[in-house]
Amino acid sequence: MSSATDTELLALHGLAVKKAGTPAAVAAVVGAEEAEVEASLEAAVAAGRAAGAKGTFMVAPAGREWLDEQYPEAFAEFRADPAATETYERFERINRELLALFTDWQMVPTAGGERIPNDHADHEYDTAVIDRLGDQHERAERVLDSFAELEPRLGLYKERLDSAYDKALAGEREWVSGARIDSYHTVWFELHEDLLRMLGREREEAP
Amino acid sequence: MTAVADRAVVLDGATVPSREVVGNKGRSIAWMLSLGLPVPPALCLPIEECRRFHAAGEELDPDAWASVLSGIGRLEEVLGREFGGGDQPLLVSVRSGAAVSMPGMMDTVLNLGISDEVEAALARLSGDADFARQTHCRFVHQYGEIVLRADLDEPGPDATPAEVREAVRKDTGSAVPTDPHEQLRAVIKTVFGSWSSRRAKAYRRHWGISEDGGTAVIIQAMVFGNLGADSGTGVLFSRNPLSGEPEPYGEWLPRGQGEDVVSGSHDPLPLSALADSLPAAHERLLAAATLLEREHGDIQDVEFTVERGELFLLQTRSAKRSPLAAVRAAVDLAAEGAIDRAEAIQRVTPEQLASVLAPRVAEQVAAGAEVVAEGIAACPGVATGVAVDDSDAACEAEGDVVLTRPTTSPEDVSGMIAARAVVTERGGSTSHAAVVTRALGRPSVVGVGEGATAELVGEELTVDGSAGVVYRGALPTEDVDPASVPGLTELLEWVRELSPAEVDAATAPVDALRAAQEELKPEGSKQEEGTS
Repeated sequence: MSSATDTELLALHGLAVKKAGTPAAVAAVVGAEEAEVEASLEAAVAAGRAAGAKGTFMVAPAGREWLDEQYPEAFAEFRADPAATETYERFERINRELLALFTDWQMVPTAGGERIPNDHADHEYDTAVIDRLGDQHERAERVLDSFAELEPRLGLYKERLDSAYDKALAGEREWVSGARIDSYHTVWFELHEDLLRMLGREREEAP
Repeated sequence: MTAVADRAVVLDGATVPSREVVGNKGRSIAWMLSLGLPVPPALCLPIEECRRFHAAGEELDPDAWASVLSGIGRLEEVLGREFGGGDQPLLVSVRSGAAVSMPGMMDTVLNLGISDEVEAALARLSGDADFARQTHCRFVHQYGEIVLRADLDEPGPDATPAEVREAVRKDTGSAVPTDPHEQLRAVIKTVFGSWSSRRAKAYRRHWGISEDGGTAVIIQAMVFGNLGADSGTGVLFSRNPLSGEPEPYGEWLPRGQGEDVVSGSHDPLPLSALADSLPAAHERLLAAATLLEREHGDIQDVEFTVERGELFLLQTRSAKRSPLAAVRAAVDLAAEGAIDRAEAIQRVTPEQLASVLAPRVAEQVAAGAEVVAEGIAACPGVATGVAVDDSDAACEAEGDVVLTRPTTSPEDVSGMIAARAVVTERGGSTSHAAVVTRALGRPSVVGVGEGATAELVGEELTVDGSAGVVYRGALPTEDVDPASVPGLTELLEWVRELSPAEVDAATAPVDALRAAQEELKPEGSKQEEGTS
């Protein structure tokens, strides 16, 4: 990252990826010291770019606009790097597989193209989906290694994904696609959002 | 089971070896053959050989390899085909098969045994050069991904094997062997090696599974559903898995290969088309499904292929079913004497019963209501609220709200938690909104169309996430009349009889079912026999 060494930009970017969060949660996304992130978020509140209550912060509309103005310059080098674009293509490939996988985890196909909610009574079925998650996780690790060479901070997602995968492997089912925790799906989507913002791209909706 | 050179076993159904010897899949193949069912012939390197492989420093024992070769010879004899050449080539699938299935083990490699020469023979045999070329591509691609761990795009329909080989070489620096025997040897080593993969080890550690086990290797003849008008592939359910009606339900794809049905890339025909064109195969299939259902005591989902008029069963397993079908089939199977009432009660999960009993919009009410949007039913259930198009507004709202968004991103999750239901304009059944609402249990309809929600903001809406419809206004829901659901009256009656007195089965049937299931020790279930 070129000029985005500015912790305030990074902290607000991390907050935007999560939408709302504690300094600790934002620090985990951007790989900075919690105290430093907290100070930056306090400064963002003072500048009208964020709102905060009870230790949880949110990006304010003015903060969103400010980020959109800053991104092209802050991530100019990343955006111009063909390696980043090429790695993002590999990310997208895994993304398509993972979205199908999350759906298979939640909804089981049956006759006539119909799907029914997965009651997780079929161990074989669940094991096969977790196995596919492992395949995609191994691919994701390679992609994140490539991203980390360009932007070391992105390597942090590897640990968060690995932690979710490991819990899913151990049979803690909510860690596959649970919405209220840092499940594989939650972390993956934050990574996606992070990359879209850095690259200045729009999300293409999944079929 | 016939021993070949003491090491490999040909699975012929003469005996059914235990899963500790040949693994779960090996046992299933032998078991189906022992019932006299038509299954493509297969060969197994038992789990013992996996231990030997690791003890020897990941080297395949020469005697084991010799016995694989003589086993392949047996498959060639039985089928009148030749592995690695000839006019009638033998292709095989190779898969892992531990006693317990676990993540991290090698996936299946299909179409092994193909080379340029075999591709040409297959083209002559099928009269379809594209099929032969695509089969070759699929093999090279799969070998690249599974054995050499390449990360590749799916080969397009016009790809050539040479192109896929080059893609693998570029990604991994290694070449896919052209010699079928070399392919086979490498894949066997990959199967055994996968027992000690990082993921398989992590899984065993988490689940307390012994490291002393191992996996068998199953080598099975491939059959082809595209060798002419009297060939095809399909799936058969021994009874309807959507309605539970005790009638076989199936799909048939003439001239199709297995992947075509699974991938949904072709529109299959109803089973009656098979009855019309190949009555003997159809009759044999129905008889097989009846036998398998009786042996398992449960609805079976059978994958099959017909090769030049001859039926082969590829796999059978207990069918995934709708909540309605779960209730009806459990009661019907008990009435038919296939299972007892206690077992029938075990067959319906509390979630399935809750779903069947969930209040719904009455048909006459729905018919008279104004539909304001229609899309893909992403998460079932019915909910009502005032439409808001902003996640912050959803979080701050006092009453019940429905979140309507063009599409959702991680920053909308708090709004989705706050809302009673979610509607999106773009995206389908795998979109972020679909995945998150299912995780949250919020009814949702996705992909209602660009701009379709703009005018709804501030309106009270009823979202039917089971039907994929959004209505104007707060529509009343009604309880389900048990008499309207086949089997439900009987099931509730049995639950009442078998549940403890302190639970009121009349007012809390789901709790009563849960309590009854607690009371009933699951008997030695016949489902254990299943293939998967």
